[in-house]
Amino acid sequence: MSAIEIKDLSFIYSKGTPYQKQALKDVDLSVEEGTVLGVVGATGSGKSTLIQHLNGLIRIQDKKRGSVVVNGLDASKRKERARLRFEVGMVFQYPEYQLFEDTVAKDVAFGPKNMKLSKEEIDLRVRRALELVGLNYEGFAERSPFDLSGGEKRRVAIAGVIAMQPKVLVLDEPVAGLDPVGRRELLDLIGRLRREVSPTVLIVSHNMDDIASVADRVIALKDGEIVADGTPKQIFGDRALVESIGLEVPPAKRVADMLEERGIQLPPQIIDMDELEEALAALLKQKEGIADEAQTAEATCAEEGDMRSQDDSCAVCRKTPDEEGEDV
Amino acid sequence: MAQLVLKDVGYVYALKEGAGLKAIRGLSFSVEKGENIALVGMNGSGKSTLAKLLNGLFVPSSGEVLVDGMSTADEKNTFEIRKRVGMVFQNPDNQTVATIIEDDIAFGPENLGLPGEEIAERVRSSLEAVGMSEFASRTASKLSGGQKQRVAIAGVLAMKPEVLILDEATSMLDPVGRREVLDVVGRLNKEGITVINITHNMEEAALAQRVLVLRKGKLVLDGSPKEVFASSVLGACGLTLPPVAQLANRLSERGFELGAILDENELVEGICRRLK
Repeated sequence: MSAIEIKDLSFIYSKGTPYQKQALKDVDLSVEEGTVLGVVGATGSGKSTLIQHLNGLIRIQDKKRGSVVVNGLDASKRKERARLRFEVGMVFQYPEYQLFEDTVAKDVAFGPKNMKLSKEEIDLRVRRALELVGLNYEGFAERSPFDLSGGEKRRVAIAGVIAMQPKVLVLDEPVAGLDPVGRRELLDLIGRLRREVSPTVLIVSHNMDDIASVADRVIALKDGEIVADGTPKQIFGDRALVESIGLEVPPAKRVADMLEERGIQLPPQIIDMDELEEALAALLKQKEGIADEAQTAEATCAEEGDMRSQDDSCAVCRKTPDEEGEDV
Repeated sequence: MAQLVLKDVGYVYALKEGAGLKAIRGLSFSVEKGENIALVGMNGSGKSTLAKLLNGLFVPSSGEVLVDGMSTADEKNTFEIRKRVGMVFQNPDNQTVATIIEDDIAFGPENLGLPGEEIAERVRSSLEAVGMSEFASRTASKLSGGQKQRVAIAGVLAMKPEVLILDEATSMLDPVGRREVLDVVGRLNKEGITVINITHNMEEAALAQRVLVLRKGKLVLDGSPKEVFASSVLGACGLTLPPVAQLANRLSERGFELGAILDENELVEGICRRLK
């Protein structure tokens, strides 16, 4: 089942003025329910304009041509658009700046209250949302959101959105400004939210490594158009493509490319550090003469284009495992 | 004497009903002219508070901060200290005061009461230093994030500062913008400006000569990136190694010792050495 159907969507800011800027151009996008979709692109590529169409924050400019339908709700129709506000949960950049209530529980309850739910249901949802984002209800409910750490504030802000139990969750730069541990925790949280609350998740990020680690599918925007659409491997494994859209390949891909330039052949399309680790461990095992049936010779050293100098010889392809005698 | 000296500095945020939050405690260190420092630590560890203490935006609750020997607590010094220690903040959209870029850069020098020619010269050289000369007469709102941050840096440079503090100045930028800003900052440092880069990005920290790690307002580590990244307390400070260093460690655990790895080049060298 398709969660998001966008057809022929264009959008022009300051239309008819000298500052006119086309932010989206004939965008077609269909997202299956259950997908974690990474949305990448340089600043100004149209990412924010696109996601704000999903819950009607930005109205469709040309309704005759363009359409946005999310879970069967048509964003061009006023009544359905109102329901979209609850169907699509938006977590903007630095959402903690939008906290406003004097207790955590009240802040998280704001969305469900607007849905006119019963008090019991609201309490239940607040409790569940806080627990889901890893904040103990008893410990946090009555605290002021302004006395929390940056990472905790961000979780409260996310809890406020998921308390509405949106079917589609949109996270704009969810880990920006978090310390590395907070970053990891939040990325892990995304998997849990998908399983338990919002089956479809969109993540907008500049960090290719983060997208590579959580997304099933990636679309890349450039100047308002979708210029690439595929698995993280297909997108991030293609250096020319990634650089043409003003982004950088993930570090694992960069290292793999540098090693290949030095004549070390690795399996194709390595985009994350775990894959790189396995490939390197396999190479090192071969070189150091440790028999390991599980790690077959998928990685071999290229004969050509090898930039080794002097007497160095690549032990992997020349099969001289005891050369340096570093037994492990 | 060192350019920046902190002597047993404490800073307490006043909360309601007389309570206080100790953001900085017993902090002592000094910074020599021309150093390139990364300041890291988890959210809430006191990094931004420390930055504001360094240019007198905050005055220590206890202890003393000296900039070129001048105490930040003495109001007579405030103007001179602000001139010497410039700051660039996180959000590129909050740091411009004028519509046209050259007017924005001129704002600081104008407040110094400099003659017109001197202001024009400072605007010109500052924009040149950040590679934004061609944008002088454009509007700031039409720039990319990286360009806006470079304009913010130019605004600081126009004051001829000796210390440049970046408070997560790259965290809202895309990879290209981040690269632009880091290149400019690296070049300024080579020209003698002291740089203190507050960041969560450990790859940026690896680029510094010296890394300071804060935890709960205290300085827990102070050393070269290699020394700091080798420390066992890093995890307790909410920090992780740069991804390549983590990879090297995991390979070491599997028996393939690669030594201390800071960046991608070192990892590639280490692996080539092992494989050849």
